[in-house]
Amino acid sequence: MTSFMGKILRVDLSSGTSEEVAVPAEVYEAVLSGKGLEAWYLYNNIPAGADPLGPDNILAFAAGALCGTGAFLTGRWSVACKSPLTGGWGDANCGGLFAPAIKQCGYDAIFISGIAKEPVYLFCDGKKAELRSAAAYWGLDATEAEKALHADLDGVCRKKPCVACIGPAGEKLSQISGICNEGGRIAARSGVGAVMGSKKLKAVVLAGTKPMPCNDPDTVKALSRDLGRKLLKMTLPSGLGVFIGAGGRMMGHLPSMPLDGSLTAYMFREWGTQANTSLAIPSGDGPIKNWGGTPKDVRLMDAVYNPEKINKIEMAKYHCYSCPLGCGGRLNIRGKKYVSFDATHKPEYETLEAFGPLLMNWSLDSIYQLNEMLNRAGMDAISAGNTVAWAIECYEKGILNLRQTDGLSLRWGNTEAILSLVEKMIAREGFGDALADGVKRASEKFGGKEYAMHIGGQEPGMHDARNDPQLGVHFVAEPAPGKHTVGMSLEYGAMSLCDICSWAPPARLHAKSKDLEDSEDMALITKANACYTMLTDGAGGCYYGQMMGVHMWKLVEYLNAAEGWNYDGDHYMEIGERIQTLRQMFNVKQGVDPASFKLPKRMLGEPPLPAGPLKGVTLAQHRAQVSSHWRAFGWDDKTGVPLEETIRRLGIDKLTEVEA
Amino acid sequence: MMKKTPVFDYLLCVSCGICVQTCPASALGMQKEGKSGKYRNLFPELVTDGCIGCGQCAGACPMEAIRMEERHEG
Repeated sequence: MTSFMGKILRVDLSSGTSEEVAVPAEVYEAVLSGKGLEAWYLYNNIPAGADPLGPDNILAFAAGALCGTGAFLTGRWSVACKSPLTGGWGDANCGGLFAPAIKQCGYDAIFISGIAKEPVYLFCDGKKAELRSAAAYWGLDATEAEKALHADLDGVCRKKPCVACIGPAGEKLSQISGICNEGGRIAARSGVGAVMGSKKLKAVVLAGTKPMPCNDPDTVKALSRDLGRKLLKMTLPSGLGVFIGAGGRMMGHLPSMPLDGSLTAYMFREWGTQANTSLAIPSGDGPIKNWGGTPKDVRLMDAVYNPEKINKIEMAKYHCYSCPLGCGGRLNIRGKKYVSFDATHKPEYETLEAFGPLLMNWSLDSIYQLNEMLNRAGMDAISAGNTVAWAIECYEKGILNLRQTDGLSLRWGNTEAILSLVEKMIAREGFGDALADGVKRASEKFGGKEYAMHIGGQEPGMHDARNDPQLGVHFVAEPAPGKHTVGMSLEYGAMSLCDICSWAPPARLHAKSKDLEDSEDMALITKANACYTMLTDGAGGCYYGQMMGVHMWKLVEYLNAAEGWNYDGDHYMEIGERIQTLRQMFNVKQGVDPASFKLPKRMLGEPPLPAGPLKGVTLAQHRAQVSSHWRAFGWDDKTGVPLEETIRRLGIDKLTEVEA
Repeated sequence: MMKKTPVFDYLLCVSCGICVQTCPASALGMQKEGKSGKYRNLFPELVTDGCIGCGQCAGACPMEAIRMEERHEG
């Protein structure tokens, strides 16, 4: 027995039909499930040149291999499709309860093609899969739609259904929209919401009760118990958050170093990802003033985003399925300035940074409101923040005027104008309409391309490549560019990958300037980090499990126990390599030139910043690092196209002949 | 009539929600407010009378925080 359900559900919205399809065991052996299964299926089944918003694009929802086995931190659900933002591979993932719900319907993944004539939702309870009218839900925000579906299906299903749905942003085909579950938690990136909206698919509603298999549940549970017992003891004294800003100031001048993965556990249990905001503002990690500013421009802003303030209004923590860490929380925001909602999810670091220092916005309260607005609309906070930052800079520099901005005075830190602009983007109203498709398209329409921060059309996550050149390589070498969750120096330092992989270099204490150099070690580090992230995604694992390191979150041991295999780390890293290469092949098949993914000049340090911890930094060897990364993967080092010998070595030539 | 139902040890529970999602009768919910050490957290509890006593929640819990106990019903 393995942990796989062995089947997928294939739905054609144009014909209104669906069918179950068995997946050969060799596919699971090669790419696991989750993003791996999606890569295999989408590469084989989306025709070259397919319109991302047309019927040939396929929207995939998948659970990872370890989901439902008892393994901790394996509750991520993955969405994939051809991205309307980049024209190539697109994916996003999210926590919540939706991943086990896919498997409990009897599937590892659901693949949806075609376009419905009228808005529909897909209902599946493991016995039947039906397309039902979504007329009553179309137009509702994601949280309202989920509530309405729960209310309408109450008592009808044996099990309370899990809902993944789009909000108005996806319905209106905003190319920076995502797909939500659990009251606005969002799989945000790559424009996956627009693809769902283009299919007139409001929601996927799952209410199955099938058991999820596992080869050796006792061993899996013992591994989890060991981790859970450690975590229960990991508690920081309250109030330490006020010192994080000082830590960030120090960190900006520290060398790179190996870290203990338990730091992740301590920080995320105490505060969640929001703790990184105060750290990132002074350290050089967090972008300021549309990536053109320095900590001097926002002196003492780290105190505004002090995580203790957010902890004070946290009503309770919540956990994703199978997570003992609990980095999420619900906040009571009633009565806060600018706020029209009673509660919101604890804003993630990415949202705080994208609507705080990136826009020189000093109002934490306004970010609670923006967070809830974006979550309900189903709009990507990273992309939206980058796009608003571009608009402000263009307005400040006279590229945009009041007439174009519908009278909005888009000055740095003008909180009211930021709120109004995001409202307009969600509603696709006036000036907001042009911005709802992200910064690349907005700058193509209005100019100011030099201030449009994107990589191949995708706005980058809130970490600066000048602070972490390794991240810069991932930003451009990743088949879905601009992602901050593929790898970074800090993460590599905490993971101890060298202890499971014979070729992964150990993290060593070294001057940060060394990371600016092109070296074989750096290429192996970026390759190892990307391979391990793909492996994690195939398993359905959480990035923060990764960041706890291989000695706390034991992915290799989990997989061997759950699947009844006896492979070493090198074998599993090759699975990650295979998934990554398949995704790169998807881009090549779709006519995307990997070499066209480039860091914006500003992020290359051209010109260099005049002050702060990144003063004078230029990523002069960045392109050479990307070439070395491609070479390490066995891809052409000039074009980024996977070489035939690599495709054969990884068995992808045979894998892509397997049909489903 | 005797019926087995889950009893939770909240000192061992890590709020992972595996039991809630495993329950085939949707009888459990993460609704009990409490503390895990110093952290305000939500814990699983019976939220409907639909428990069928199958014990899948206890079997699935990695933390061994659930035991099934018989109690009188009706």
